[in-house]
Amino acid sequence: MRLRRHFDHEESTGIDLAPMLDFVLNLLIFFIITAVFTKELGLPVGRHGGGATGPATGKETGSISVVVKQSGEILVDNRAVDVRAVRANVERLHAQKPEWGVMVTAEQDAESGVLVQVIDQVRQGGVENVSFGTSSQ
Amino acid sequence: MRSHRHASQTSAETGIDLAPMLDFVLNLLIFFIITTSFVREAGITVNRAEAETAVQAEDGNILIALRPNGEIWMDRRQVDLREVRPLVERLHIERPEDTVIVIADKSAKSGLLAQVMDEVKLGGIDEVAVGAGSTTGR
Repeated sequence: MRLRRHFDHEESTGIDLAPMLDFVLNLLIFFIITAVFTKELGLPVGRHGGGATGPATGKETGSISVVVKQSGEILVDNRAVDVRAVRANVERLHAQKPEWGVMVTAEQDAESGVLVQVIDQVRQGGVENVSFGTSSQ
Repeated sequence: MRSHRHASQTSAETGIDLAPMLDFVLNLLIFFIITTSFVREAGITVNRAEAETAVQAEDGNILIALRPNGEIWMDRRQVDLREVRPLVERLHIERPEDTVIVIADKSAKSGLLAQVMDEVKLGGIDEVAVGAGSTTGR
């Protein structure tokens, strides 16, 4: 009987959860605020030349050559084309040589904005295997 | 008198049981702790080129930004080209699954981009992406 009464006493007090809840809520708010859900967007490219790595294509078959000049000129397979025509040209060459990757070679001082556009066009042309290198003028 | 006693007694005895709320909040907390990705931001905003085929890089958490004037920004400070490799090595040891995104300004030089990408590869991270904005907007 005495034991029973003791048990009753325990239940009525319990642990006050309110301070813990305050603390946990603060932690929660901190993590909500610092959470970053935006993933960065990028174009995965390999590297060729430059000495640090071997050819990114991996295959020794060859590759479609795209050159970005300092002036913004673009050569696909040694033919000057417009940025918007890169896609069509790459599609055509890719259809001829489906196993070839694309090597985008930029001159040292070429603007990287043009370079990104070209890589984007190449990827739109259906070639995922893109490697990037620079030429010494 | 009677009504006063009644009110005070009930409010003291019932109260709100905080335990279920605490469970719920703890679950939320655990969710946010797990999903928090500690992105190493570059520290500056650059005028990035837009690309339609840009993909969300998995674990692309180390950002390196290149400014038009040749400055390299990484981990919220300006670094020298020679500092990139040891920094990448250190971050690679801390979190081996992280990959690098090099965000070059539209008018940054391709030569610098290539040099930075080489340094990153020498630092031990092979998966390097060139940062781009989406044409459709976020």
